[in-house]
Amino acid sequence: MDEDLIAKKDVLEEAGISYGQLYRWKRKGLIPEAWFIRKATVTGQETFFPRDKILPRIEQIRSLKEEQSLDELVQILAPEAAPETVKHDDPAALSPIGTEGRKLLWKERGYTFGELVALACGTHALRSGTRPAEAKLLVDLVRAEETVLRTPTGMTALLGEKAFEQEGFSVRLTLGVLGHEPLKVDRESRVKHRVDLEKIAEQVKLALREVT
Amino acid sequence: MESQSISISGSGRVSGGEYTQVRISGSGRVEGDVVAQEIRVSGAARFQGTVKAKEISVSGAGKFTDRVEADVLVTSGSCGIEGDAEAKELRSSGAQRIGGSFRGHYVRISGVLHVARDMETDVFTSSGKFDIGGLLSADRVEIKLVGDSRAREIGGENIDIRASSGFSFGFSLTRGFRLGVGIGTLTVGEIEGDNVHLEATTADVVRGKIVHIGPGCRIGRVEYAESLDVHPEAEVRERIKR
Repeated sequence: MDEDLIAKKDVLEEAGISYGQLYRWKRKGLIPEAWFIRKATVTGQETFFPRDKILPRIEQIRSLKEEQSLDELVQILAPEAAPETVKHDDPAALSPIGTEGRKLLWKERGYTFGELVALACGTHALRSGTRPAEAKLLVDLVRAEETVLRTPTGMTALLGEKAFEQEGFSVRLTLGVLGHEPLKVDRESRVKHRVDLEKIAEQVKLALREVT
Repeated sequence: MESQSISISGSGRVSGGEYTQVRISGSGRVEGDVVAQEIRVSGAARFQGTVKAKEISVSGAGKFTDRVEADVLVTSGSCGIEGDAEAKELRSSGAQRIGGSFRGHYVRISGVLHVARDMETDVFTSSGKFDIGGLLSADRVEIKLVGDSRAREIGGENIDIRASSGFSFGFSLTRGFRLGVGIGTLTVGEIEGDNVHLEATTADVVRGKIVHIGPGCRIGRVEYAESLDVHPEAEVRERIKR
């Protein structure tokens, strides 16, 4: 099934924003190109957005806008603007990671932005009850793909699990997958944990701002 | 280390690198990526590689085979950029061609502009002719039509498109139309803005808050939120108040 889409004009109406704002935010990269979905309708071409992404994003831009300028917002929200030079020494101080998360990838100091996001992904999994070994899998996966954090397309990292049971034997396999939604697993497997990379990256950026 | 300047006034080629100033007044070729404070082309130049400079001016013929980045890009001759271009300010009174997308803050066109993909800027003013293959997006779009221009989409806050009679004085605009001497048209698929004023424009769909459809327009459908007025010499097939 198609994901839930909302027409551009309905976005304007529901969120109470103007065309000027929408186009400005798009130009600044606050609304990723990938969210603009052009479709043919009875009345011609129209642009749609994924509802569960665009509406929260507009809310976010609005609430953050009161304290910061649009350009600062870009630093936080636009994935292309991921800080390349960040070297953070104390991930435990960042709320999306914390002390439990830091253990997933131990370094003395100098965590890169990609590593922080990777850690936050792992922590996200830990906090919802995934075993540390599995959370670590997620950290390794994301850490190796740092470049995807800078592309403006929504990527998802997930942990899939497959269980084999035969003659009293039971083996469970967990594996990490990185890709674009919709990601599907076969019927005998299940998705153990799913993280939206863009969201996590955003949380890390916000947390970094809080501590500096 | 102090970076150096190069000047080609006959015919020559240099390799890329970091320069203070690059001047080409004869025929020159730069091979490789270039970073410079200033690039001036008054002859014929070909840059093979990415170019990054504070100021680029082309008054002869400049060709860039890759991406171009500048604070100020001024072209009065012919300037072809095959990749994407980014400039805070673009002023072109010659022929400007961009093979990719353009991003910037301020654009002023009085010659001919051709952009294969999107043109995104804060201010776009044109009294020239343009052809934009993708979206033209700006807070302020001010177009005085000269010749036949086109874009796939235009979107922004204020969109103001005026026909020009072709004479700087002596003819009123409406009179020019009545006599059929109005020159310049715009053809667009879709226009979206908060304040939209159109003249001599053909569009499939126009969406806006306050919409004014002036003389010479042919619009398939107008969707407006607050107000719409249509000039008697305009044609609007369908009007929808939202």
